[in-house]
Order: sequence, then structure tokens, then C-alpha cells
Amino acid sequence: MFWRCGGNGAIGMVEGMSQTALQAAVRPSERTAELDVTSRPLCFDELLARYQNEIFRYSMQLTRNSTDADDLYQETMLKAYRAFDRLGPDSNYRAWLYRIATNTFLSQKRKDKRERPLDPVLDDHLAVTNPDQPASMDARDLLAEVEQFVQRLPEKQRVALILRKYHELDYASIAGTLNSSEEAARANVYEALRKLRTSFGDRL
Amino acid sequence: MGNDRPTADERGAMTAYHTEPPAALAALARQPGADECDICCEAIPGYVCGDLRQFDAAWLEEHTASCGYCRNELTGFRRLDHLLNEYESHRCEAVTAPPFRGRTREVAHYGTMDSPLGVLLIAVTDQGVCEIDFGRNQTLADFQDRMRERGFDLVPDQEAIRPVVEQLSEYFQGTRSTFDVSIDFSGLTPFARDVLQATAAVPFGGLATYSEIARRISNPGASRAVGNALGRNPIPIILPCHRIVPADRSIGNYTGGVDIKVTLLSLEGAVLPAGGRVS
Repeated sequence: MFWRCGGNGAIGMVEGMSQTALQAAVRPSERTAELDVTSRPLCFDELLARYQNEIFRYSMQLTRNSTDADDLYQETMLKAYRAFDRLGPDSNYRAWLYRIATNTFLSQKRKDKRERPLDPVLDDHLAVTNPDQPASMDARDLLAEVEQFVQRLPEKQRVALILRKYHELDYASIAGTLNSSEEAARANVYEALRKLRTSFGDRL
Repeated sequence: MGNDRPTADERGAMTAYHTEPPAALAALARQPGADECDICCEAIPGYVCGDLRQFDAAWLEEHTASCGYCRNELTGFRRLDHLLNEYESHRCEAVTAPPFRGRTREVAHYGTMDSPLGVLLIAVTDQGVCEIDFGRNQTLADFQDRMRERGFDLVPDQEAIRPVVEQLSEYFQGTRSTFDVSIDFSGLTPFARDVLQATAAVPFGGLATYSEIARRISNPGASRAVGNALGRNPIPIILPCHRIVPADRSIGNYTGGVDIKVTLLSLEGAVLPAGGRVS
């Protein structure tokens, strides 16, 4: 059950990444802990009540506009609804929903390469901070840049970062979601952070 | 770097981890030619994510306490982490999921008709027409699969779609310019419904641009989203997305094939903007 620090496992996926330090130092996956808190929902309604808000929030984060988020959310839940009875009692339902949402999003994205419009949410929120204060100006600029930089990340890294950072999924679940190894899931999160760190340079 | 021998506490934790070796980072740092700062910087993202094991986190903290460069790196990553939190709280405050609409399976009656555009696949529910598809782009089985995916139980029933077939035939013969069959908007997002209703207000023979539709639904910045919604129009011809064109005087796209758009617009006698071209 414990993740072992072998010297020969390849992380893969991320270029220029030396495997040694990370593979050796990271904690074993916390998947057992997650299963304990996630008891089996008795029916689809319970599943929906439990996870609808976080899955919709995830849809918003992936699509970044409310129309597409609604489509993605509805499609995810529809797929979950149809497959609910076929899922085994020991399944991790939460991770399963994230997986459906991610796959639906990525395959939709492959079909439809067009740029999607953004909701003006960010602008609105940022506009309310007082522009006369140089400090908040700075903060505003930085936040607007977070948006840009996060969007420039390769899709797998962006997804992995969102899942880890904002939804606290364990790496086994992120790996399942991305169809990758656990090491690659970790590497995607860390590489995303490194890229963002580099993008901001010495302004951080 | 520090004392590599585990303390009593660490030995206790080691037992808990069974055979997990403690302080992997320290072990790496001891290897010949190893550079502590490289190892530290490699591990910082994991540290910020809270992924490092106790001993490794302790090693990293110890190293950054004594190394200005790495401390700086760590501070940068911590600020980034903070920024990501702040960004998210700005973006999504309270997120409430919209109601899930797909639970109930609905019966749809479907059938086909021949048209100048080839076979049309048509489905209706109790509420009205819910789908028109161009048969030249797909097989009947594709159509059935997709409708079932969308939550419909399908019943072949040519009689149920007869009013729609009649009105479409009249339209293609040039004797009908408006449709008055009822339409089932229930499978659409509120945004898509607004877009399609605004589109339905563009008269036979007329044209409108994506940005005009965006303005009509009081969402002037949404022309691209309007384009996307029109591209997914489930009831083409009757909801006349073919009358919506880009502002650059080209004819734009059409999900069923741009030649269908041209055919429909010429049937309606629509005048493309001067210099208009078929792309």
C-alpha cells in the first residue's frame, strides 16, 4: 500500500524533471484516508447533494464561462446518473465524478479548438478594489496575471493543479483522472507550480 | 547538513512507516556530488503542496533556514500559493450548482422526411420539436444514440412529426415563411434558449450578425458564445441560425455544412451584405 521510493521509476511526462528528489521525498498516497470519509451514497440524489457544488465549481474552473460550465456540469451528472447503478460499492464516488468531468471537458476541448469567451467575473471583482491605492493596483495586476499564466499551462498540468490545489484530491485520484501514473500526476502539479513561479519571476 | 541519525521521535515514526526510509532528501544530499540547493529547489513545490514527509519537510526547513537563495525560492512559492488562493476567492465566491436537468427520461417520437437538403431526422416531445438533424451527416443509428445519450426514450412515429413535416415542406416549396409548430426548449441552457429565441425573431429573408444577437440578449460581449450556442442549435431551419452571419460580410459557418446555409439563404432570397462572399 505504501508508495516506495524506488530509484528506477520514471516520472515521465514532464521534461527536464529529475526524478530523484521528488520521488524519494513525497508521502505515500492518502487514498485510504479518503475512502474512510467517503461512504457510499445510497442513491443518485445523495451523490448529487453531496458533490454538485464542488463539481460545478470545478466545471467553472475548467471552462471559465458559465454557459460552458453548465453544459459540462449537466453532461457530467448525466453520465454519472446513467452509470450510477453500475458502480461498485467500494468505488471512490467523488474521484469518479471528477474523472467524468475531466474526460468530458478534455474530449470536448479536442473536438472544439475554438477559443471560448470568458465571463467578466474576474474583471468585475477586480474592479471593485480601489485603483487609487498603488498596493491594490499591484494586487490587481498580479491576479489578472494569474488568470493568464494558469491558462497558458498545458491542459494536463492545469487540470492537475486545479484538482490538487482547489479540490484537494489525492494523487491516486488525480492519476486516475488523467489516466497517468501517480508520479506523473505529482509531476504535473509540481511542474505547473514551477512554470507559474517562473512566469512571475522576481515579482513574487 | 544537521544530524542524519534519526531522533527517538523519528524512529517512532519510522516504525509507523514500516520500511519507509526516513529523510530521503538528506540521503540524497549525502550522495557524492550532490548539491543541496538543487535538491531543495526540486522539492519546494512538493513542500508547498504539503506532500513531503515529516523528515523531508524538516530537512528542507533546516536547509532554507541557513541558505538565503533557497529561502528566497521558498518565499516565492509560498507567495504564489497565496496568490492562487486569493485568485480563486476572487473568481468563485459562493458557487451553487444549477439544477440537474437530466434525471427524467422523456419520450421522443421521431421520424424522417425527404427535403432538398437530403433526409431530415426529426424528433418531437409532448412539448414540441426538440431535434432536427441533417441525415447526410450521420446515420439513423448515430441520431438514435445521441438522442438516447441526451436522455430520450425513442419511439418511431411518423404521424407524431407530421405537422413539422408539413410546415417544412411548405417552407421548402416557398409557400411558408414562418413556422408555428411548438418548440421544446427544455434541454437547453438558459443562455442557449435566449440566443435561439432572439434568433427566431430574425424574419424570413433577413440577416443578423452574431454581435447583434448578443446585444439583443443584453450580453453585448458574448458574440463568440452566441456563435457557440448557434453552432449547437438542435432545431435548425425552424430556429433560423442560418440567418446569423459574421460582421465581416462572410457567410460564416454552419454546423450542417455551409452549403446548406447558402441554400437556405438563397431560398429565402436573403441579400448578403454587399461584397458578401461564400467562404
